[in-house]
Amino acid sequence: MRTAAGALYEVWGRRAPGWRPVIFNSLTFLVFFAIVMALHYAPFFSWHQKKINLMIASYLFYAAWNPPFVILLWVSTVVDWWAAQWMVRAKRERTRKLWMLTSVVVNLGMLGYFKYGGFLLDNFVTIAGSLGVIYHPPGWDIVLPVGISFYTFATLSYTLDVYLRRSAPAGHFLDYALFVTFFPHLVAGPIMRPTELVPQFAEPRQAKPNQIFFGLALLTLGLFQKVVLADGFLAPVVEAVYDAPGKMPGMLDSWVATLAFAGQIFCDFAGYSTSAIGVALCLGFAMPDNFRFPYGAVGFSDFWRRWHITLSSWLRDYLYIPLGGNRHGQARTYAALMGTMLLGGLWHGANWTFVVWGGLHGTYLSVERWLRARFKGFTPGRAPLLGLAVLTFLLVNITWVFFRAKTFAGAGLVLKGMAGMQAKPDPLIAAGPMVIAVAIVSGIFGTHLAMRNTTLEVVVERTPSVAIASIWTMLLFAVIVEQGQGSAFIYFAF
Amino acid sequence: MTGTRDGALPPGLRKTASDRPGQAQPVPTRDIPSRPWVKMGIFAFAGAALLTAGWEWNARERLQLRAGDISDSPQAWAEARRAADGAPVAIVGDSRILFDTDLERFRQMTGVKPVQVSHVGTNSRALLENFANDPNFHGLLIVGMADTMYFGMPVIGLGGEAIHNYVKNGKPSQVTGLWIDRWLQNYLAFMDRDYRLSLLINRAIDFGARKGVDSPYDDVWKISEDFSGRQFFMWHRIETDRFLQQHARYAWQGFNGPNVPPAVANKVIARSAEAVRRIRAHGGDVIFVRPPSAPQLRVNEQRRIPRALGWDRLLVGANAKGIHFDDLPEARRLVLPEWSHLSRKCAAVFTDAYVRRLVELTPRLKLRADAPPALTRADCVPATVASR
Repeated sequence: MRTAAGALYEVWGRRAPGWRPVIFNSLTFLVFFAIVMALHYAPFFSWHQKKINLMIASYLFYAAWNPPFVILLWVSTVVDWWAAQWMVRAKRERTRKLWMLTSVVVNLGMLGYFKYGGFLLDNFVTIAGSLGVIYHPPGWDIVLPVGISFYTFATLSYTLDVYLRRSAPAGHFLDYALFVTFFPHLVAGPIMRPTELVPQFAEPRQAKPNQIFFGLALLTLGLFQKVVLADGFLAPVVEAVYDAPGKMPGMLDSWVATLAFAGQIFCDFAGYSTSAIGVALCLGFAMPDNFRFPYGAVGFSDFWRRWHITLSSWLRDYLYIPLGGNRHGQARTYAALMGTMLLGGLWHGANWTFVVWGGLHGTYLSVERWLRARFKGFTPGRAPLLGLAVLTFLLVNITWVFFRAKTFAGAGLVLKGMAGMQAKPDPLIAAGPMVIAVAIVSGIFGTHLAMRNTTLEVVVERTPSVAIASIWTMLLFAVIVEQGQGSAFIYFAF
Repeated sequence: MTGTRDGALPPGLRKTASDRPGQAQPVPTRDIPSRPWVKMGIFAFAGAALLTAGWEWNARERLQLRAGDISDSPQAWAEARRAADGAPVAIVGDSRILFDTDLERFRQMTGVKPVQVSHVGTNSRALLENFANDPNFHGLLIVGMADTMYFGMPVIGLGGEAIHNYVKNGKPSQVTGLWIDRWLQNYLAFMDRDYRLSLLINRAIDFGARKGVDSPYDDVWKISEDFSGRQFFMWHRIETDRFLQQHARYAWQGFNGPNVPPAVANKVIARSAEAVRRIRAHGGDVIFVRPPSAPQLRVNEQRRIPRALGWDRLLVGANAKGIHFDDLPEARRLVLPEWSHLSRKCAAVFTDAYVRRLVELTPRLKLRADAPPALTRADCVPATVASR
């Protein structure tokens, strides 16, 4: 029996938008972007001035959420700029290392303080309590600066590349500062390396009309994924199970909600990346792919070459390889793999559930590595390949339980439901939304399978223009009438 | 180095950072498919504009949604909450006091326009306590309540969410978003939270086929029109459309639910008393108001928390004054189209009635010399009904 209070809550639960900085799916962004475009294409500004305009716009983009946190951006920018400068001027290896460590300590220090301070304190209190030491610290009431995990990794890659002699430091402070703050990638990636973006600031960039309109098409696609699919249709199905305290989800509800979350997180995050790429393209800049139809992956190493590519490659280049990679024997390789994935999990959030999520992926990768060595030369046919893709997708879904659930108890309930072990399950998802969610996720999975060896651009190029224009029209219309409520992208919290 | 590559794209995958381990990543290349993007873009934008115009027409003509009906939002609530600091009168509560108070009538009678900080779907105690924790509030706080929610609601509800996100919802990006949203809603009727694509589709395809689950169709659909200053009134179609009226009544499910255990009621009263004490310590004051509900709901409300155990004991326990609609002759037997909230005209009558009592209970408000004459039940109840 539903209660009146419950009914009221549900009515407004759907209405309640989130908060966040200026984000792509907000009306403020549309106005902001129109102004940025006008300034960028105004004939009376020099290229130098246009770069300054872009930097000011990027600071405004960030400050619109919480102005004081712009200071963190400045700290990160200035420290890393000078660390790299002094690194190349240093005569001794030890001095170079010192500057590199300065950059690492400052960036990870900020990240640690704002993101992991409370987590560390909680764990310290728990451990102390288990040893009989009762400690009641004051509450850790620190707001997490949005996007801090993204821009600290981006700036760190600058000093680390210089230290590892992979690249030279940027020639101009303005170009470097703009790399750090460039608004399309600032708060949720793709995590760009300076070598990918700084050279693009060297000469004037103006997109041709075709590029601008293709950029707008990508922006529309990204917004459709986020506003219509992720927020409109999938999120309520996920919340019906994962945010239902006291309820016991059964097998059907648990699986549908988890599959829906797989779709939601993909549409949310890939939607952001696609929008960011489109926005940058409109301004004449190229950003890297961040997703490559990940649910079409066969195996987990394949999955991580397709999912959040800029993070997985960052972790590989600056963590896995320095930890030894695969150069020091089997045991060390597995240890490096597991260490990388555990820290990768922690990067996503200060909670042990994320660590378990990373640990599961580390385990999957290790098992796959062992199997590949054991069955060297095995080449699956079409049917086994499809079976392996389905298996990969299902196993990835198991990990999403820990990613989405806020606690281990919550994750346990859903896993128990997925295993069909709930004695008296509560039905939680209505039939209509369930059917739609399953249809959307099936569509995503099928598309990823079909397109695993190609790119969106190639497919678009081979599709009649009328069909593309019609689809674009419908996506745009759906975004408008869904009335995106400015809810946050999930990855903003990371 | 261009960063883009036009047309005639090679099949297969382009390289990403995942294909280049341990090296500096080059400037990425973005492929631009060889298609007439400008023409396609113009087609898409024009097509979407046409479809949106049709959508707007449907909203106005078929559903009778109106431009200028500004959907409420957490950002608008945060704005009102900020305005309440320093205001002489603020109102907190659930949807009943929100719908049933005519703010302009209040102003005409007292010269003071209260700041409306109520929230739908909430336990108003959370909002009361929020003001109790705010030393900047020195005014009169009117606490409206639906007693089953005030005493028995297991969760705080959306008011708690609004309080939790108060600071965030006041950030510059949120405020500018609110301005733009309001401006657009003044011209576009389709920008209504209840007219979202996903909501409409979910309601259209689900009629409760799965037993034991709340169907989206069972939720109350659009019930209010919201105007400047968070003035809520009942949506005009709920007053006139029999089907929508019946549907809303069905959604309330008679306000059924478990009885409120005495221990819970005692706890609520104790916390309310503490909140009232703190507000008075800041120089403010509190008056409780119980807006009307129809007999069809009242019977369950009385069963779950009888007036003698809830309302009456609350006023004694909190040492506070209150206005119950039972005690206002002009507020009895008003029109409650869906049983829980007053019709727009009757909201003015109820406001008139409770404000006249309010000025007797507090020295903080005075009835203006040029206040409009008192309204009576006849001002809002159709003659055919009034004569019964």
